[in-house]
Order: sequence, then structure tokens, then C-alpha cells
Amino acid sequence: MVNSTQFSEYTTQSKKGILVIYIHQIYGFLKAFWILLFLFIQKFSKFSEVSLTYIYLGVTFVLLFFLVRAFLIFKNFQFKIVNNHFILKKGILKKNALEIPFDRIQNINFKQNIIQQIINVYEVNIETAGSTEAEISIKAMTLEQANALKNAITIFDTSYQKSEVILEEKPLLRIGFVELLKVSLTENHFKSLLLLFALLVGFYQQINQLFESSGNNELVDDFISKNTSAFQASIIVFIIIISILLVIVGLLSSFIRVFLSHFNLTVFIKNDTLEIDQGLTTKKSIVLKKNKVQHITISTNPIKEKLGISFITFTQAESGISKEKKQGIIKIVGCKSVQISAIKNLLFPNENLADFDANQVDSYYKIRLYVRVFLALLFVNTGFYFGVNNPTVFLLNILLLPILVFLTELKFKKRTFLFSDTLLQINYGTIETHQTFLPLYKIQHVSIKQTIFQERKNVADVVFQTASGKLKIPCLKVSEALKMVNFALYKIETSQQSWM
Amino acid sequence: MVNSFQNIAVTSFPEFVESEFKPIEKKYLNVIIIHVFIFFFISIFGVFIVDYTKIIDISAILLDVYFSILIIFALIFLMQFLGFKKRKYVVREKDISYKSGLVFKKTTTVPFNRIQHLEIDQGPISRFFDLAVLSVFTAGNSSDDLKINGLKKEEAEKIKEFISNQIDG
Repeated sequence: MVNSTQFSEYTTQSKKGILVIYIHQIYGFLKAFWILLFLFIQKFSKFSEVSLTYIYLGVTFVLLFFLVRAFLIFKNFQFKIVNNHFILKKGILKKNALEIPFDRIQNINFKQNIIQQIINVYEVNIETAGSTEAEISIKAMTLEQANALKNAITIFDTSYQKSEVILEEKPLLRIGFVELLKVSLTENHFKSLLLLFALLVGFYQQINQLFESSGNNELVDDFISKNTSAFQASIIVFIIIISILLVIVGLLSSFIRVFLSHFNLTVFIKNDTLEIDQGLTTKKSIVLKKNKVQHITISTNPIKEKLGISFITFTQAESGISKEKKQGIIKIVGCKSVQISAIKNLLFPNENLADFDANQVDSYYKIRLYVRVFLALLFVNTGFYFGVNNPTVFLLNILLLPILVFLTELKFKKRTFLFSDTLLQINYGTIETHQTFLPLYKIQHVSIKQTIFQERKNVADVVFQTASGKLKIPCLKVSEALKMVNFALYKIETSQQSWM
Repeated sequence: MVNSFQNIAVTSFPEFVESEFKPIEKKYLNVIIIHVFIFFFISIFGVFIVDYTKIIDISAILLDVYFSILIIFALIFLMQFLGFKKRKYVVREKDISYKSGLVFKKTTTVPFNRIQHLEIDQGPISRFFDLAVLSVFTAGNSSDDLKINGLKKEEAEKIKEFISNQIDG
């Protein structure tokens, strides 16, 4: 084990870091100006000898500039550990000094993208909770260095819990290729499609802008109109082909999505933490401290349920101003019931929710859902009325209506909740089933919401705000809602545990 | 199997009593009225400018536009006026609550031991009436924290002092 005193002086990261920073910069540059590159390749033959020389010179200059800059960034990025504080100074021209007390550090995560994997260094990310300062990312450290840093910082945590539990070296969960395949096949393919679609729309817009600026607008439109006129020839064949294509694309995109982020998923339980390693091109190693987890959600869908697998999402406190909303969310896929109970046991020892009945929400919730369905149908039909000339399109309602009724009934049936002395469980979902577990003392504030329609039926919504978002129980009887709120407040106000 | 609600132990935790809620300062209604009027005149002025400079030709429907602005602001005014009586707050031993809303009622309670920091602000119009806003912030994604408009400045200071003492004590 490396001595932790090695960080008492200012240290730079591993020298390989220059390469990592360099490539990171070039990547960023290419991402911003890839259209230029695209144009350059497209018109390569049209450039004269002289302008080519200038272009090469320019590129060389940019590359050199980035190299110097990478070196300077590397040189000026120095950190040390003094007195239970992590101190960092960085910046070439604008100097920046950061000082973070250990108890504010939420997580220390290791990450490896492809470059970092090749040259065998680790990116160390230090996450802090509830602070406005940016998260610290050390781009390149050797495994030895990284572990030493992690130990040096976490010593603060372990110093007060002297009784060191023997490390459990056997992983709680290891997901192999076949299991990951199962997981990806049973994903929500519709969601994968939507994600892919969003990606493509962004891409299309960029391409379109490019053509617009170079006056080639007709090219794309022409292509589209030509193809649509061909498609119209036989609409049914078109629909069938499109459906088959969508299914294949959906399957493929879920497959890729799951494999990219969860490849080689391994979960360890160590002391009071969960250690999660996963990822294909970007390997991530996340250490989840037990008391930093705000709430967890166990989700499954009918097919996954048949196979006996579900996935768990953990949420952690979000930092004050976070650009990425989902940064606090960590997901483990392919859990069997054994692992779920092990994780539940770790996070909420002595919970006895199984002894309690699930409470249904008030039937007013059903009315609300049906009103929403009605409004959605109204909206769709107005769209049909103005958008499509063919009246047969309204026949779709016959198909749509039973599906929507079925989904609504399902959604209502799955909306239940129960709570014990310490833990709240909220169940919800339509096709998928989600169970969210929230320790009552982690709640930050409680609201009761009521519309005038709800007031007439004497029901209200209860909203629990945690450090990582809201949880809602819709449509409870007012008396029950008040009881629930009073109970939760009592639990928070008498709790001495740290909730973040 | 046990029903969760039956299991709530009767350890006599304080329940909310409707009469404990205090209304905010009456003077704050003036502030709201002034705000509404300022926006009203800005909108009227905006329409006037558009009509005068002929950026968009609206001369044909000009009267309708003015009339609908009047209707909309009359409605806003009415809603604000009726909603004003619903704005109430209460500071208890361990938490602070605020409720408001006419059509969408909402009561939010923040326990003191989850508060990260407190803030008192005064807008220009509020300052004239010696009123202040007390904002309560909790950790994490605090988009929906508690904010009480229309407190007397000294009352806001007093509450802030009280809460700070309770947190430290």
C-alpha cells in the first residue's frame, strides 16, 4: 500500500495526462468543427496547391497550439492533501484554487475512456454534493496513484468506524455476456427508439444547416420528396417495411445502449459502500456510499419478471446547479432477487415492509387518469380532423381506445404505497413495474397539493421533496394525507441521522 | 398484515391546526396590485408602440386587442385578489409552513433541520411598504423550496433569527 503522505506536497498527475488532455482537446475541437472537416474532404480535389499548403499549415499550427496548451494545463494542474482538505490549483492564465473538506466529498469515481484504457491510466472524478463549485476531474493517474488518493481521502470516513469489516472479495453480482444479452433483449425498445430518434433529429438538423448555408437546400428536400412519392405507391408495404425496420432498429439500439454502458458489470459490497464497475468504451468505477443514497427504485417489466431479473436505480443528492439533470442516477441491470435483497439489506437494515398492506390511492386518481386520456384523444382527433383528409383515419380510435383503457386501469392498479416506521415504499408503473424505497428521514420537505376539483372529492396529493428530486403519492383522502405528512415531519424532525 | 396507517404510533406529534396559520401582511396586496398595473400598462404600451410604428398592421383588430388585454388583466386581478386571502404561513417549534393557491392549493412544510440557508430580499416596491421576502433553501435540487412573500421586514428578520437559533441550538 502506498503511503498516503505522498500527497502532502503539490503533485501533478501522471505524465501520460498530457496525451489524454491533448486528445480530449482535439476531440472537442473536432466535435465543434466537424462540418468544416466534412466540407474539406468533400471539396478536396477543388483546392489549389497554395490553399492546400495554407490549410496544412493551419492544421499543424492548431495541433501544435493544443499540444502546448495541453502541456501547460498539465503543468498547472496540481493538487495536495492537507489537514483533511483536498486542495487543487489549476489554470494557465486565470489561476484557480479550490479547497474541499473531505466531509463534503460525496464520491470518488474512476473512469476510463478508450484512450485512457490504451495507455492504462484512470480518470479520477471527485464529486461533491450540494456545492456550486464544479466537480473535480483528474484526467490521468496510474491505478496505484488513484487508489492511494482514494484511500487518503476516505481515511477520514473510516477513522471513526474502527471496526473494519473484512473486505468481501467475491462480487455480489457479475453480469456476463449471456445475461447482458437477456437484459438488452428485454429492454424497453420503444424508449431506445425514441432516444435514437432524438439523436438522429439533432444530426439531421446539423446536416440541414450545412446544406442551407452552402445553398444546397434543394438537395435534401429533393431527396426526401422523390422517395416519398415512391413510397406512396403502396402504403401497406411501406408500413410493414417501416414496422419491421423499427423493430430491428429498436432491438439493435437497446442492444448497443445496454452493452456500451453496462458491459462487464460487477458489483461489490465493501463495508458500507457499493462498488460498481461497468462500461465498454468508457469504463466506469463508481463507489456508492450507503448514506449518500437518497432513494432506490427497483424496476422490472413482464418479460424481465419471467426471467427473474430487474434493475435498480440509485439516486444521490444532486449538486446545487447541475447542468446534467441525471448525473446523480446510477443504474445496475440484471439483478436477481438474491442481489436485490442483499442491496436492500445493506441500505435499509431491519426493514419489515413485507408485513404491511399496500394502500390503494383514492379512486379519484382513476378519474384524473381518464380525463387525461380523454384530453389526449381529443387532441389526437383534432389533429386527424385538420391534418388528414381521409375519414377512415378515425377508425384508429377503435383500436386506440381499448389499449388506453387497459393501460389506465393497469396504471391505477399499480399505484400503491406502504410505509413502516422508517421506510416508505411507492409502487407505480404501467407496463413496467417500479418500486421506490425512501427512508423517511431523507425527506427534505413535504407538500400537500389540492386542486378545486380534488377539494370537492376531499382528496389531495402528497409530494415529498428529497435532495434528488420529488416523489409523489397522488390522490389520498385528505385525512390520510394529513396523517402521512404529520408522520413524515415527525420522523424528519426527530431524526439525528445525516441525510446526505 | 398490518395497515400502515393503523401502525402510526400515537406519540402525539403536533398536528396542523388551521387556526394557527397567520395571513401575510395586508399591505402586500398593494404590492401585488402595483405589479399587476405595471404589467398592464407595459402591455398596453407595447400594443400602442406596435400599432404606432406599424411593425405589424393590427389597426383592424386594435380595439379587440385592447379589450382582450383588459379582460385578461381583470381576470388576473380578480384571481390575485381572491388568492391573496389564501396566502398563509405558520412557524412552529421545528418547522415552517406556507400555503397558497386558489385553484391549485399547496401547503409546503420545511423542517428546520433540513434547511441549508435562509435569505431575505426586498424588491423596490416592497421596500416602500417595508415588506420583505423570506426564502428557505434546502440541499440538492432545490427548485421547489419555500418562499414567503409579504412579511414585515422585522417579522422576516425575527423568523430568520428564530430559525437560525433553532438550527444551531
